[in-house]
Amino acid sequence: MRNVVLGGLLLTGIAASVPAQAQDTVRIGLVQPLTGSVAYNGKSVVEGARLAVEEMNAAGGVLGKKIELIVEDGQCTPANSVNAVEKLVQKDKVVTLVGAFCSSATAAIMPVAQKYKLPLITGVSSKASLTEQGNPYFFRAAETDALMAEAFAKILANDLKLTKVAYIGVNDDWGRGGVEEFSRDLTALGVKTVLTEYFDHGATDFFTLLTKLRAAKPDGVFVAAETQDGSILVKQIREMGLDTKVFGVGSWATADFINLTGEAAEGIHAAVPYASSMDTPRNQTFVQKYQAKYGIKPGKYGAAGYNALNIAGQAIARAGGTDAEAIRASLAKTSYEAPNGVYKFTDKGQAYGFDAVLVRIEKGEPKVIASTPVDAPH
Amino acid sequence: MDLFPQFLANGLVMGVFYALSALGLTLIFGLMRVVNFAHGEFYMLGGVSGWFVTNYLGLDFFSGLIVVAVFMAAVGWLVDRFLIERVRGQGEEPGILLTIGLSIFLVNGTLLLVGPAPMKVAGAVAEGPLFFGPIAVTKLRLLAVAVGIALIVGAHLLIRRTRLGAAMRATFQDPMAASLAGIRTGHVYAATFALGCTLAALSGMLLASIYSAQASVGGLISLKSFVVVILGGMGSFAGAIAGGLLLGVAEAMWGGYVSMGMVDVIGFVLVILILLFRPQGLFSIRTERA
Repeated sequence: MRNVVLGGLLLTGIAASVPAQAQDTVRIGLVQPLTGSVAYNGKSVVEGARLAVEEMNAAGGVLGKKIELIVEDGQCTPANSVNAVEKLVQKDKVVTLVGAFCSSATAAIMPVAQKYKLPLITGVSSKASLTEQGNPYFFRAAETDALMAEAFAKILANDLKLTKVAYIGVNDDWGRGGVEEFSRDLTALGVKTVLTEYFDHGATDFFTLLTKLRAAKPDGVFVAAETQDGSILVKQIREMGLDTKVFGVGSWATADFINLTGEAAEGIHAAVPYASSMDTPRNQTFVQKYQAKYGIKPGKYGAAGYNALNIAGQAIARAGGTDAEAIRASLAKTSYEAPNGVYKFTDKGQAYGFDAVLVRIEKGEPKVIASTPVDAPH
Repeated sequence: MDLFPQFLANGLVMGVFYALSALGLTLIFGLMRVVNFAHGEFYMLGGVSGWFVTNYLGLDFFSGLIVVAVFMAAVGWLVDRFLIERVRGQGEEPGILLTIGLSIFLVNGTLLLVGPAPMKVAGAVAEGPLFFGPIAVTKLRLLAVAVGIALIVGAHLLIRRTRLGAAMRATFQDPMAASLAGIRTGHVYAATFALGCTLAALSGMLLASIYSAQASVGGLISLKSFVVVILGGMGSFAGAIAGGLLLGVAEAMWGGYVSMGMVDVIGFVLVILILLFRPQGLFSIRTERA
């Protein structure tokens, strides 16, 4: 009998403490790959996100409470990302979700967010079709490959005087998407395609691929790859003695990429939505704070995490409560001043209005050579 | 056809790298009958500790290589004395479970300590290209091939020509008789495991100077090493070399003439063919146990 009473007391204690905790803070759930081949990039998103939360809390939080960021590992796989979201919703009772990194993982958690009627913001996933699914809870605070290709194809073709281009991409939806979009827009400008090849995540030796590249004699090579694969690939392009112009998409304008690639990085071009050398006062403050906290300049993904959390935090503040419908409505009215321009959302939840830049790596620094606002897709 | 010499050169270089990475695995399996699923993680630890000694302790590449060899030999010795020792003589399954657990522990321990970022190991020589007619290679690759061949020959001589090697072979033929003859079999097991770990770690550091070191690289290395070992025959030195070269050249030709996107499939196609037509591998020292 005593046990039953004790158990009852314990149960009521737990039951009482859960909502009390939930009321102390406003919880936002973040799903990113923290292990696996893109863990390194996922970690950058988390760093940016933590910085944004710290800033907002220092300024008094939202709704008079502190924001609490709960991070889960989605491993860039659909199954693990869905598990992470279920945990964040069921156990942690988050009011807004941010994630996931890979487009395939994001596509998997979108219906889950819709099922629980929770707003979901991604700062990274760039597959164009995500915003075409009519999911009213989904917002993409990132560029798509199509938007980047449209913004930079002309500048690239003219500035680099391209006539024959080879395309190399990582063998996943993002890499294939990037290659398709850029080759379509460049072909429309009269640039010939001489080679299209894909390689698997985590590949280390590209000499065979580069032998074919050498035989194809392009005057420019487009690469869609992230930090690790991309740095090894660019290094090996130079090791093969090729001096073709290299340009691409991915997290290239980052200190880590340049450090890993070394001298081979000199003179390559990258089309990125963010570079630490962007020349706006808001960006300078952001870079300064990020560097003070992490000892490294922010890259594309650090900025993506920072922006996504700020957009979420501001939307919750404007909503005046943690009601999901109110947050969703206020997200749709976002006008967020980021380090890289102003983010707004279209009716489909696609961000536009922010600046994207083309950088050239010179003396180990990403130098902005062209900047253009990303227009709403039409 | 003018691409063929370059494809062949790429394949042979990769083949030596594959043979070198698989050597530790085939040694531990062939002599100790332990299927080491943590093999790729020892390779990864070699790269990461190589990064640590060249970056933080400021050692040059070859001194770093020696420090890493000593350190990883100690790690291998301890792993055998404190972990493998406990499941010895209980069949292969407990050892498999143990090394799978060990690999998970090592990956996550490394992620915790140094994070998931790729790390650069400063190479011993400059990175520029060298041309032999139509063939481009780099000094670093040639050096890695040379060091790789030296390690393979060295390990072979150690096992065939030294007292320790004789003790190893005796212990694995008949542990009871060996210990009656005065061989301290516990030490022999530990030395063998340490040797296997050291070979894995040295190939890890050598290749990290060409590519990069990263906490999560081990899984792919383990897979490729198993492919090499199955192709060549479990436990055979000549088999590891033949299996490595076969895999390297096959991948280079497939990637070169067909498609890069599916190049990782080739190794497994070869394994299926070998298992169908010659299940003991190309060179097997103990066909009856394969």
